[in-house]
Amino acid sequence: MKVLQVENITKTFGDFTAVDNITFSIDEGVIFGFIGPNGAGKTTTIRMIMNIIIPDSGKVAIMGNENARTASDMIGYLPEERGMYRKMKVKDLLLFLGELKNKPKSFIKKEIDYWLERMELSEWKNKKIEELSKGMQQKIQFAGTVLHKPKLLILDEPFGGLDPINQLLIKDLLLELKEKGTTIIFSTHVMETAEKLCEELILINKGKQVLYGSLSKIKQDIGRKHILIEYDGKDDFLKDLKDIEKYDNYGNMVEISLGPQGNAQNVLKAAMQNAVIKKFEIKEPSLNEIFVESVGSSEQGGEI
Amino acid sequence: MISKKVLAVIKREYITRFKTKGFIIGTLIFPVILILIFGGIFIFGSIFQPSTRDVAVIDMNGQMYNKFIRLQADSLKNGLPKYNFHKIEVYTETLDTVLAQLKHDLIVAKSIDCILIIPEDVFESKKVEYMARTVSDFEEQRSFSSSFSRIVTNHKLESMGLKADEIRKALAMSRVSVSTRQVTEKGVVEKSGVSGFALTYILTYVMLLLMMTYGQSVMRSVIEEKSQRITETIVSSIRPIELLIGKITGVCGLGLTQLTIFGIFLLGGIALAEPLFTRFGVQSPEVFALLKQVHFTPSLFGYMLLFFTLGYIFFSLIFAAVGAMVTSEEEGQQFQMPIIFLIMIGYFIMFTVAKNPETSQAFWASLIPIFTPMVMFARIAVSDPILPSGTFLSLGIMILSIVLLTMAIAKIYRVGILMYGKKATLKEAIKWLRYK
Repeated sequence: MKVLQVENITKTFGDFTAVDNITFSIDEGVIFGFIGPNGAGKTTTIRMIMNIIIPDSGKVAIMGNENARTASDMIGYLPEERGMYRKMKVKDLLLFLGELKNKPKSFIKKEIDYWLERMELSEWKNKKIEELSKGMQQKIQFAGTVLHKPKLLILDEPFGGLDPINQLLIKDLLLELKEKGTTIIFSTHVMETAEKLCEELILINKGKQVLYGSLSKIKQDIGRKHILIEYDGKDDFLKDLKDIEKYDNYGNMVEISLGPQGNAQNVLKAAMQNAVIKKFEIKEPSLNEIFVESVGSSEQGGEI
Repeated sequence: MISKKVLAVIKREYITRFKTKGFIIGTLIFPVILILIFGGIFIFGSIFQPSTRDVAVIDMNGQMYNKFIRLQADSLKNGLPKYNFHKIEVYTETLDTVLAQLKHDLIVAKSIDCILIIPEDVFESKKVEYMARTVSDFEEQRSFSSSFSRIVTNHKLESMGLKADEIRKALAMSRVSVSTRQVTEKGVVEKSGVSGFALTYILTYVMLLLMMTYGQSVMRSVIEEKSQRITETIVSSIRPIELLIGKITGVCGLGLTQLTIFGIFLLGGIALAEPLFTRFGVQSPEVFALLKQVHFTPSLFGYMLLFFTLGYIFFSLIFAAVGAMVTSEEEGQQFQMPIIFLIMIGYFIMFTVAKNPETSQAFWASLIPIFTPMVMFARIAVSDPILPSGTFLSLGIMILSIVLLTMAIAKIYRVGILMYGKKATLKEAIKWLRYK
């Protein structure tokens, strides 16, 4: 069953089209990357999934249910803009968040103890939020997002503001939740993290869908491949092959960038006809490269 | 049917505020004042109950002493005489010596509390000397003065050949008092004009204060969620309108808690003061008479709760809209001024309406939702126990306008709470009304 189905959703604010005809779906138990530069429309899309704002057109179905309000109890949402009631005690706040998900008190209390233990924050249970450090507050917020055992977890920049140790802690927890069958949507503009965690992803820019599919397929299909060849012989094959966009020749070794439609196998065939191949390596592009490539160099500035 | 989620919001809003110092002080201040007043009466009336005072009287005139002690023969509540008079016999030559001895008794030995010196020519000079360690007991001085005056008056009347007793009787018999009674369909109620107004002013003032305090509380709550970026987490679990309703209801609960405590203490104070004090042997007729004039009935209290609730909901909706439009508490402070003015206007209209509750202007003013809570309640308060014209019409209009206002504000609220960064103009807010 598809945990989430998004069909052709569009949202405009006045003259500005924030989200333009986006379609994707997510299977159960998948970590799904939702990537794009700042201002691409990620948060607006997530808000439409959460039914916080209503799309101008298009449909959202969560676990087959188009009424997102009934589904919202099964979702855990960690927004990018996140904060907490500073004057509330940790346990009161978590209880409140659990109650907002329609869970019984006894259940929530057990979960609070479990998650505080996992977050190594048990002794802060009776402290006020404002007494906690920023990192601790983030972890409490994470606990608040997962304590009602959601089937779908939507995390908007979950690692922002966390130190490396806590990033590792949260990452392990996410993988653990995935093992238990939780579907995770994970929005970020940090490609390294997305590359490590996500199996599938969608890349949006300026409200439009740019890439969508499994990470390996995207890398195969869309990413510019780099080829490294060590050879003995002539390098004539480099010059008239359509697949090659550009190359750097070092004499016995050449680094080739394939064109958009370039096929590594064609290059190998051509090379074998001209030279003795000592080493042939296809280097997969990083997600970061794909991202930069797709979004365009004009929009990198400082955000990536 | 209120959902569990809304209940959770109501509970959170109520409990987090209930524990704050401000609320506790605000709630207890009225009962504390009331207890202090009654406690004061009790303490001064009972614990500092005066004991028998020893009064040395030097009667140089010779005709005053016996008449005076007959007029001052009151006894205390414990049965003992109020005064123990000592007649000091002196001659003009020994006056200084005797006086010196008496002063010693007064100040050092404290065997006497007061010295009265009646000069020989008291009928002409009309002066008596009063000496005591403290001279702040003006009631005693007044009482002595009136007794002396009476003796001197009697003396003069009799010397003119008139019968003092008969004249006095005639004077007492012809005293006319005006007692005020409000005539209503349900009968005649004893009530003075002044106390009716005073009570109405006080009650509407309490309502005004609570409406403003808790309206602002709602606004701050909205701003907190916005500026602390809490909103998005919350509205992913609960619809904005539910959040708004829960918020307003929870804060309303605080206002009603305070108002109920206020009302119960006031009702209890009025009803129980006299029997309670009388039981402990404290007499304070002035206070009792005043309390009897305070026409604060349970039904009036009910109307107060009703009109407070309606007024609070109406204004807190507007406060919530302002909260959703601004980004910080400072901006909120600025933008709330127009609302506070609106509430104040109602209060000012109330002043004139309370005096003339049945004019057509009063009638129309009480139908305008912004003014209804103050003006209509004031009309009810001064007309109690009958209901003034338009009571139910004004209630109907008020409830209808709350429903319409909720629908409009919910739209502004829904968009506004997620607009971080910059404050919205009124024009933008009106545009939000049209958002899907």
